[in-house]
Amino acid sequence: MLRNAFGMVVSLAAIALTAVGAAAHAADPIKIGMVAPSTGPVAESGKFQTEGAMLAVDEINKAGGVLGRQLQLVIEDDQSTNPGVILAFSKVAGDKDIVAFLGPIRSTQVHAMAPDVLKVAKPVLIGGTDPSLTHMGNPWLFRFRPNDSYSARVIADFGVNTLGKKKWAVVHATDAFGTAGMTSLVASLKSMGVEPVLVQGYTSNSQDFTPVVLAVKQSGADILGTYMTNEPDQGIFAKQLQQLGVKPAWVGSPTTVTTTALKLAGAALYGSYAVVDFNRDSSPAAKEFAAKYEAAYKTTPDIFGSWAYDAVHVLALAIANGKSLEPEKVRQAILAVQGYQGAEGVYNFDKNGDGLHGYNIVKNNDGTIVFEKHIDFKD
Amino acid sequence: MGFNLQLLFTGIGVGSIYALVALGFVLIYRATNVVNFAQGDFAMLGAFSMVVLAIDFGLPYWLSIILTLAALAAFGAIFNLAVYYPLRNRSFLPVIISTIGASILLENGVLAAYGPRPQSLPTVFSGQGITIGSVFLDSQYLLIIGVAAAMVAFQFLLFERTFIGKKLQAVSQDKEMASLLGISVGTMIMVTFIYSATLGGLAGVLVAPILFVSVGMGSSIALKAFAASIIGGFGEVTGAIIGGLILGVIETFGAAYISVPYKDAFAFLGLFIVLLFRPQGLLGERVAEKA
Repeated sequence: MLRNAFGMVVSLAAIALTAVGAAAHAADPIKIGMVAPSTGPVAESGKFQTEGAMLAVDEINKAGGVLGRQLQLVIEDDQSTNPGVILAFSKVAGDKDIVAFLGPIRSTQVHAMAPDVLKVAKPVLIGGTDPSLTHMGNPWLFRFRPNDSYSARVIADFGVNTLGKKKWAVVHATDAFGTAGMTSLVASLKSMGVEPVLVQGYTSNSQDFTPVVLAVKQSGADILGTYMTNEPDQGIFAKQLQQLGVKPAWVGSPTTVTTTALKLAGAALYGSYAVVDFNRDSSPAAKEFAAKYEAAYKTTPDIFGSWAYDAVHVLALAIANGKSLEPEKVRQAILAVQGYQGAEGVYNFDKNGDGLHGYNIVKNNDGTIVFEKHIDFKD
Repeated sequence: MGFNLQLLFTGIGVGSIYALVALGFVLIYRATNVVNFAQGDFAMLGAFSMVVLAIDFGLPYWLSIILTLAALAAFGAIFNLAVYYPLRNRSFLPVIISTIGASILLENGVLAAYGPRPQSLPTVFSGQGITIGSVFLDSQYLLIIGVAAAMVAFQFLLFERTFIGKKLQAVSQDKEMASLLGISVGTMIMVTFIYSATLGGLAGVLVAPILFVSVGMGSSIALKAFAASIIGGFGEVTGAIIGGLILGVIETFGAAYISVPYKDAFAFLGLFIVLLFRPQGLLGERVAEKA
C-alpha cells in the first residue's frame, strides 16, 4: 500500500516536472557555472563569493534577465583545494548549456585548472591576483580584481609621492605571495629612483620577529612596505615594532586590513596604511553594492563577494552587448567592456583580460578603516 | 650591547616556551617510552579553552586559567584511556601512530568547531613590559621565563623528593618490576598523562597572548620542543629546559646575525650537530647495548 502511494507520488512529480520543463523550454535560463569552496579551510570565503554572485543574478533577473532569458547559477564545491577545483570544474564543464564560469579567488587554484579551461574554451572569470595568470597565453581567463603588480606600484606611489618618504624597508614572507610582492615593490621603487635601505624576508609562522624589528631599526628606514601572508605573523611583528619603539610609516598589502589582522594586532596597527581592492567608500558603485549586500545577507561584504558580483554583471553586459552566447563572441564582448563602474572600481579590460588597473589606499584610523584615495594606472 | 641583550632576552623567552612544551614530552616519554606527538595540541587546546572562557563567556582571567587547567587535566585522563591505554601492551610504534592520529583529530575537531580564523587573547598583565636601558622586557615573556623556572623546580622536587615521584620513576624504568613491588602501573601512567596535559595547557595559556590562538599553533611549537628535548638528552627534565633555551638563543642570534629566513634551519642545525657528536644529548646518559 505504502509502496503504491510512494509510486504515485513519484509519477505525479515526474509529470509535474515534465510539464514545468515543457513550459520553461520557450525561455530556458542562461546557465553560468561556478566553482567555490563550501567545505574545507576557506569555506567561509566561498560563502561570500556565492552570495556576491547570487545577488547580481537576482538583480539581473528582476530587471528582465539577459536577451529576454533569466540567468541561473550552477555551483560546485571546490573543497578549498587544487584537486577539488579541477574536479568541480570538470563537473560543471560537463554541462554543455553553460555559457561561462566563475572561477576561484586563489591564484594557485586558477593555475591548477588553467589547462582544463583551455580545453573547455569558454570564458572563466577569476579573482586570483598572481599577475602571470592573464599573461600565460590562456585567452579564456578574465580577471575581476587588480593583479599584484598594481598593488606594489600603488604602495610605492603612495609612499613616495603622497607621504614623501624615501628610506624604505621592505619586509616580506618568503612564500610565493610575499616574494612576488617584494620583487614588484622593489622594482616599482627603483623605477621611481628609490633604492630600499633594507629588504628583509622571513619564513611564515615565525614565533618571534625581534631580529627583523632590530634590522628595521638599524636601517634607519622611515617607511615600511610589507607583503606578509599570515595575519598572526603580522600581528606579532606589529606588536614587537611598537614594543621596541620602532615607528616608521607603514603601507602594507591587503592582509594588513583584514578583519582578522585588525583583531589580532589591535592598537599596534593604528595609523598604518594598506592597499585593498574593495572598499565601500571608494565609489558610489561600491557603496551601493555594500548596501544591497547588507540588506540581502545581513553581514558586511568584503573582497570575496564584490568581485563575484561585478563578474556576473560584466558577463551579463557582455552577453547583451554581443547578442550571442557563443564563447568566442562572449570573449570579444568582455574584452570590449570599457568604463564599467563596478563595486571594485572602473573596469577597462585590456588585451590580457585584466579588468582593473589600480588599488584603493585605506588608513587604519584607530581601528576603523578609512578610505584615503584610489590610484589607477593607464598601463 | 643593547642590541645583543635584546636578542638574548628574546632568545631566552622563546626558549622557555620550547622548554615548557618539551617538559611534557619528557614526562610522557619517561612513563611510557613513547613520544606523544599530540603534546603541542594540548597547548593549542589550552589556548582555545582560554578564548572560549575568558572572551566568549566573559569569565574573569584567573578563573578561566583554573577552569582551563582543570579541563586539560580531565582531557589528559581521557587521552590516556582513548589513545594510550588500548595499545599499552603493544610496541612503541602503534602508540606513536595513535598519538599522531589524535593530533590530527584534535586539530581538525577544533577547526570544525571554531573555524580557521586565528583569535587573540589579552596578556595576564595590563602593562606591556619594562624598558631597562635600551632593552625592552616583555611582561608576558618574563612571566613565561618565571613559570618555566618554577616548573623545573617543581618537577625536580616531584621526581627526586616525593614518594609518588619515586613510583613514577620506577614505572618508567621497569614496569614489570614496579608492578611486582606493588606499584599500580596503570595509575602512575594515568597521573603522568593528567600532569602532562595540564602542563601543555599551561604552556598554551601562557603563549596565547604572544603567538595568538590558531589551530596549528601547537604543532609548530612542538616541533622545536621535540628538537629541544633531543638536544638536552631525551628523558631528562633539566636537559629539556637547557635544550629549549639553547635552541631559542641559537635561532634568535642566527636570525639577527646571519639570515632571518634560515632561522628554523639554525635550530635544526644545532640539533644535527648535537646528534652527530653527542647522540645521547647534552645531559643524557650513554646507553650501551648489553652483550
